[in-house]
Amino acid sequence: MAFISPALLLLLGMSVFPLLWALYLSFTDYSATRATGTDFVGFDNYTTILTSSEVHTRALTTLVYVVGAVLLQTVLGFSIAYLISRRTRGRGALTTLFLVPMMLSPVVVGLFWKFMLDAQFGVINSMLGSLGFGQVEWLTRQRTALFSLIVVDTWQWTPFIMLIALAGLTAVPAYLYEAASIDRASEWFRFRHITLPMVWPLLLIAVMFRAIEAFRLFDLVYILTSGGPGVSTETLSFHVYKVAFLGFNTGTASAYGILMVLVVIVLAQLYLRYLNKLKEG
Amino acid sequence: MRYAMRVGRRSLPGRPLRLATAAIVMAAALAACGGADGGGDGEAGGTKAPATIPELSDEEQTLSFVWFEWPPAQALEDFANAEYTKERPNVTVEVNTVPNANWHDAMFTQFAAQQTDFDIAILDSQHIGEAVTNGNILDLTDFVNENIDVDAYDPYLLAAYGQYPQAETGQRDENASLYGLPLLGDTWTMIYRKDLIGDEPPETWDEMIAAAQKCQDENPSVSGLAFHQANGSDAAAVTYNTVNGVYGGNLWDSADKKIDGVINDEAGQKAMDVLVNEMKPLTARGSGNWFIDEVNAAVAQGKACIAFQWIAAAGGLVDPAQSTLGTTEDEILDKLGFATLPTQESDVVPLGGMGMHISAYAPDDRQAEALNFMRWFEQEDIQKKWAAAGGVPARTDAIQSPEFLEAGPFNQVYADSVARMRDMWNVPEYAQLIDIENTNVNAALNGAKSPEDALNDIAQQQQGVLDGDGGGL
Repeated sequence: MAFISPALLLLLGMSVFPLLWALYLSFTDYSATRATGTDFVGFDNYTTILTSSEVHTRALTTLVYVVGAVLLQTVLGFSIAYLISRRTRGRGALTTLFLVPMMLSPVVVGLFWKFMLDAQFGVINSMLGSLGFGQVEWLTRQRTALFSLIVVDTWQWTPFIMLIALAGLTAVPAYLYEAASIDRASEWFRFRHITLPMVWPLLLIAVMFRAIEAFRLFDLVYILTSGGPGVSTETLSFHVYKVAFLGFNTGTASAYGILMVLVVIVLAQLYLRYLNKLKEG
Repeated sequence: MRYAMRVGRRSLPGRPLRLATAAIVMAAALAACGGADGGGDGEAGGTKAPATIPELSDEEQTLSFVWFEWPPAQALEDFANAEYTKERPNVTVEVNTVPNANWHDAMFTQFAAQQTDFDIAILDSQHIGEAVTNGNILDLTDFVNENIDVDAYDPYLLAAYGQYPQAETGQRDENASLYGLPLLGDTWTMIYRKDLIGDEPPETWDEMIAAAQKCQDENPSVSGLAFHQANGSDAAAVTYNTVNGVYGGNLWDSADKKIDGVINDEAGQKAMDVLVNEMKPLTARGSGNWFIDEVNAAVAQGKACIAFQWIAAAGGLVDPAQSTLGTTEDEILDKLGFATLPTQESDVVPLGGMGMHISAYAPDDRQAEALNFMRWFEQEDIQKKWAAAGGVPARTDAIQSPEFLEAGPFNQVYADSVARMRDMWNVPEYAQLIDIENTNVNAALNGAKSPEDALNDIAQQQQGVLDGDGGGL
């Protein structure tokens, strides 16, 4: 107990207490800046959030973003891992090269992609122009702005999926492929009946991690679009930030944060149960 | 093994339930203990600064400011360390900066913690209400009466950067309290290409749009207009507010705290229509997220016929190192002209700039030093030196001085604009109001909403904030 007490205290002080404090504040109309009293408001904050059309809009944006980004990253990440796993030479160097985006700060990634996607001076439009295409307003049109966010997030986080998929692929026993070869199984058959089933559980765990991360996306939105045009790329996390630090409606923002945590916990639980079933099967 | 796994799975929902119960019990206990007290000390309205400056410390000390990152911040630090140290050699002035988008958060999160690493906050005029209501800054009324020559200022400039409750446009309420003093005056200037549209600037807004259209038609590689459209800071909102004012609209009825029905009246609708349907088509593609830097870049690279910019941010435009319009300042000025904004139904221009405000949480010795700095800074000769160093003064004598008028080609524009200035709201809800306006105007400019819907949404959402509806969302 003596050995773990510093870590325990740190956990209590840095995680458990703030969580409980936020939970308490979520039932009040507390504001971090206003010098007025604090009243207990019961579930009013929760009701307001759950019935707000503004929140529903942000939830839909977040959902589209999470599904789009994670799907794209999974397909690309697994494909790259599959191709790398089939190479015998230069595999290490290639893997390291692909991991570079993941090691960069999201703020740095956001800033240089903002320059690259600039409609007037950006390198992307310059390349499109040299290929005979017109200028695209990547960050200032409703559909392209969300698509751009998905692309940038995919550029940065595909390596994460790739890395986990690669670990799964290298762990597939070679004798299975040898047996399939003896049976003259086709490439597709080997992929469908050996590779994919063996890697699938590991891939699903990577998908869960990425989905949780994507669900709380803030930094890229802040740097690339500021939630615009209008509020069309405002995610739930970005909206919580505005409620907490523009209006300083701390009680409402706390309830908003708690609800987001609850959504993640419930979905993760359901997902883990599915994974367990898969494991048993 | 299978049994154990089943038991393990069955126990899963139980654990979170017990944890949740424990959390609720603890939260209830915290609530019973009183918990948060509102974060204030019940001194809403601000602690009063003394009328006379307390004895100053002879110890080495640093007087810290907080501002956002732009050229005037460095100019202030250099100027203060060159000049103020002649009077107070033991004091070093430090102007700490944050990105513009974080400026409000950087100050008010520290105010919320009731502990600031700055002594003087440089607040936008619209931040005053929030800071005063929360007791974050000192009430300087007595100090100003004793130490500052208030008659040396245009009354509205003095009110705009310090008075709360907010003054009527163009006036100062002498019975109201003052919480700040002017640091940097500012307004928009129209920047126009003399070589493309002629030496004489357009006089009306309609003429300006026509000139921009003609210039763009004649010069396909140059956009007719460049102006602020971003949804961060107050970019798109100031643009709409300016056009709204020019077309005779109002942002609100401050006496009745009424926005819905005022901002979206006929004049307001006309202004939004002009902005979205007449001005926006004359801008560069993808300029829907442009703010200060992007507009400056477009002008400096010769990509805009007419642009609108804050005067305090226009200095780099005549720097040959930053411009492709000429290799000397004279060459650039042969091509660039600076003028006051065109008029239409009305002649209002946006009030920019910021005031100095003393943190209520700074230690006593540095509050005293801050008061002394303010007294020193607001003197006539210092204001003229500040003007010569690149600042925009607020005292009338400094504004009309050769030191200021000859310091930059756009300074005459400021001098001519003082009587035309109009501010936004400086109520405690400002940050929410500006965000609503920014996002909706930005949406209209980028085709995410129709102009009518955007304006009506602004009116309804802002009214909801003022009325306290919406639960803070």
